[in-house]
Formats: sequence, structure tokens, C-alpha cells
Amino acid sequence: MLLIWPVYLGIKTSFTHDVLSEFATYGAGLENYKNLIKQPNFWLSLRFTMIYAIVATILEVILGFALALLFDRIFPGKRVLFSLMLVPIMIAPSLMAVMYRLILNENIGVIPGVLQRLGIEFSIFEQHNVFGSLIALDVLEFTAFTFLLSYSALQNMPSEIYEAAAIDGANARQVLTRVVLPMLRPALAIIFLLRILDSIRTFDSVFILTGGGPGTTTQTVGIYIYKTAFIFGDFGLAASASVVLVLLLAPFMPSIIKQFNLNQGGGK
Amino acid sequence: MRRNYGVTLIASIWVFIFLIPLLGALYTSLRTDNAILSGPFVWEFDSTFSHYKNAMGAAGYDFANFFKNSIIISIGTVALTIFISFPASYAIVRLGFGGPWLLRLALALRITPAIFFVIPFYKLFTAYNLIDSPLALILANSFINMTLALLVFSGAINELPLEIEEAAAVDGASIWKTLKTIVLPLLGPGMAAVGVLTFLFSWSDYLFAVVLTSSEATPVTVGAANFVTSYGVRWGDISAAVCLSVLPPLVFATAAQKYLVKGLSSGAVKG
Repeated sequence: MLLIWPVYLGIKTSFTHDVLSEFATYGAGLENYKNLIKQPNFWLSLRFTMIYAIVATILEVILGFALALLFDRIFPGKRVLFSLMLVPIMIAPSLMAVMYRLILNENIGVIPGVLQRLGIEFSIFEQHNVFGSLIALDVLEFTAFTFLLSYSALQNMPSEIYEAAAIDGANARQVLTRVVLPMLRPALAIIFLLRILDSIRTFDSVFILTGGGPGTTTQTVGIYIYKTAFIFGDFGLAASASVVLVLLLAPFMPSIIKQFNLNQGGGK
Repeated sequence: MRRNYGVTLIASIWVFIFLIPLLGALYTSLRTDNAILSGPFVWEFDSTFSHYKNAMGAAGYDFANFFKNSIIISIGTVALTIFISFPASYAIVRLGFGGPWLLRLALALRITPAIFFVIPFYKLFTAYNLIDSPLALILANSFINMTLALLVFSGAINELPLEIEEAAAVDGASIWKTLKTIVLPLLGPGMAAVGVLTFLFSWSDYLFAVVLTSSEATPVTVGAANFVTSYGVRWGDISAAVCLSVLPPLVFATAAQKYLVKGLSSGAVKG
């Protein structure tokens, strides 16, 4: 079928010697995969991507859930604030990254300006700080997503449960830890999974913010594949890297699929 | 009942933090070049909106063209995605074509990182001479969003009571006619969810755009990012360009917020 064709082509390229500077392309068997294993940059980018994705996702799920709990009550201005909370979802990550560069710019940016006034010496994109900075920016951008999903999960909780807990004399904290959290565990697991799969393929924001630098310290797998193919011109090697990436994500697929089948009847 | 102003305050602080980048860009775009260059806290209102005029063409950038491309690509993608995936999901759900396996496959493809498809698409479009044309981006984005559309539509069609369609069939309506006059109107919400999500994702696309376009078909995402490097010092113009670029999806998605929430929370995975 139509959907399968690009997959086939991608896998085929990974078994082909296909370099931009040479005209001929020919079958190469496992050559690309053998080369790939020997590329320290590939392993570094893989490690960076995994650590980045795990740290960012954990923070985003916690913050998103906490904010969802905050919004799960009635307060003045809720509708407007809720809409504003969703704004980051509607902004393209690449455009967000451009805005980050504006507010973080050393000469004209507001953030360095504030830091300077406070007398804090902090260079945002310096080697030691860059990981933390990127995580912080990722959290600012994508917590809106975890917030929205946590919020709709909370909304789907039947209200009788709260009433029953109240009758049994549970205080707010007991309701949260003994009732809400256990009941929402599956939903939170799915949110975690969706978000981590998303952050593993992070490309736009990091690419625009740092280009993978300084050096290759912030090179995600996506950036590695992009550079290998379109800057160094080795399509075969890049394709094999993307096949490896997909294989690494493959173990997650069954649980996502299971989740969707469950949802399909209920129409969440 | 006690009015919860405390909650309002905390929520407002968080909203403010999340919106700092957007507010920062807006702030820069409304100041004069003089003020921007003399430091982040110098306020001098640019009453002529010169940065916005520059961004829209007065300074000879291609930005107006990027903007047009983004609109063509996003609308084209929404139309093509719905046009193909709606009958396809109907066939899958009601006529039993491919069954659940096809949906599982669609889901697996959905999870596959877009970067995986970049190389095949690049080779495919080079072979057909489609590089740097809006059509290439419409096709690539439709491909990526198709799986999402299939999933949302099949879910929605599954929830429709079969009797309505049976009644139509008894009255002698063909499958196409049933689709057009009965199923389609009932699927309005699902359609809106697919529409707004597809619009958002294709407007946001950067990866395909950076690979598949060079100048003619460049959308705003790539255009704005290139702005930063090629016109390094024109911060005001860049800010204005970015503010304009986020506007259409923002307006559209806020107007259709109900469907956005529904679509995203029904197991949608971003591309």
C-alpha cells in the first residue's frame, strides 16, 4: 500500500552504498551498519538523546500533572487561563526556538538582561550549562501538552469517587495519593510514553538553538541523521542510523497500540 | 463559596512563564531599532510598526512569499489528508477492508520518527523533480498526518450507530451517497479535530521543509529560522516575522480549541 512504500525505500537505502559525491549506488549488504557501529558520534548522539528525553519527560509529566490538579477546580478567570496554557502547543517548535534565541541573546535578550541586573553570571549556551538550558526550554515548551492530557484524564474521573472518599473522611492529600494517583496511573503512563517518544525525535528546537553544538555535545539522533545525509552526503549511513532508531523505538509500539484499542470503544 | 483568587494568581504566574518567549518576541517587535540596540529594557514604542512593514516585504525579504507557501501547504495538506483518509477509514471500519491490522500498522507508522521518512522522501521527490515545490511538502505532510486522520476517523465511525446507514441502504442509497449525505455531517466534530490538528502539524513542520525546499517553496518555519542567521542584527524585523508566523495557527486553533483538545486527548501522537 501507499503508506508502506517510503518505509521500504528507507530500509533499502540503509543496505545501499549511496554517497552524494559518487555517482554510482550499489548494494552494500551490512556495510553501513558495520560503519555505523564504529561511529562514536552516533553513540554519543544516542546517549544524549536518551538522557535528554528521559529527564525532560519526567519533569514535564510531573509539572503538567501538578498544573492539571491546580486547574481541576473552579476559580476566577479559569477559561482564559486554560486557553492561554494551551498556546505553546499551537506554536511551531522551530518558531519557538527562534523566539528563545531572541530572548536569550546576550546583547538584546531580556533573560540575560535580567540575570545581569541580578548580578548572576550565567552563560546559557556554554558547555556546562547547555544541557540544563535545553531541558528548561523543552519543559517550558511541552509541559502544555502533558498538562492538557493530564487535565482531560482528571476530567474523566467519575465525581462519585471524590464523594465516596469524602464520606469516608479522607483529607485532600489522602484523596490524591490513595485515590487519584492510583486511578490515573495508566493514563499517566501513556502520557509519559507519548511524550518520551516525541522527545526522542527532537530535532527542530535543538537544531535551531545550538545546531548540535558546542561541538557535538547536544547532537540528537535526529540531528546526526540529518547531518550525515544532507551535510556529509552519506545517505546509506544515515538511513541505517534511522533504521536503528526505529528498532529502538519498536518495543514501545505494542503498548501504544494496546492503549489505542482500549480507547477506541470508549471514545475518550 | 470562597472565591479562589489564590489559584488564579498561581495559574497566572505559570501562564506568564510559559508565554515569556511569545511576549518577548512581541515586545522586541514593537520597539524601535534604537531601543533594541541600546539594551533589553529600553522602551521606545515604534508607532510606525516599521518591523511589521519590513517583514511583510518593505525591506525586500522573501517573507511574504514564505507566508504564502505556509498557507498553501497547510491548507493543501488538510484537504488532501481528509480527502484520502475519510473514505479509507470508512472502508476499513464498515467494509472490513484490512481490518484492525491496517489500523495497527497506521499506529506503528505514526510512532515512527519523521526523520526516518526524510531520506526516502528526498530520494522520491528528487526522482520526480518535485524538490522545492509546495506539492512535495503537501504530499510529505499528508503522509505523516494520514495515520492520525485514519485513527481519529475510524474511532468516530465506530461510534456511529450502524442502523442509520442500514436505513439509508434500505432506501436505496449507494455507499458513496450514504457517506456524503449521512455519515459526513454526523462526523463534523471528528472532521474538525483532524482538520485543526493537521493544520497545526503541517504549519509546524520544519524537518521536511528544511530538506525538501531550498527557496521557492520555503515555509515560514524554515524562513524564520534562516532569518536569524542571515540577517543577524535585524532583531526587530525577525521578531515581527515570528509574531506574524505564529498568528494563523494560534487564531485557528484557539477558535477550534474544543476539537483540538478532543483530538489531542484521544491518543494523538505528534509527528
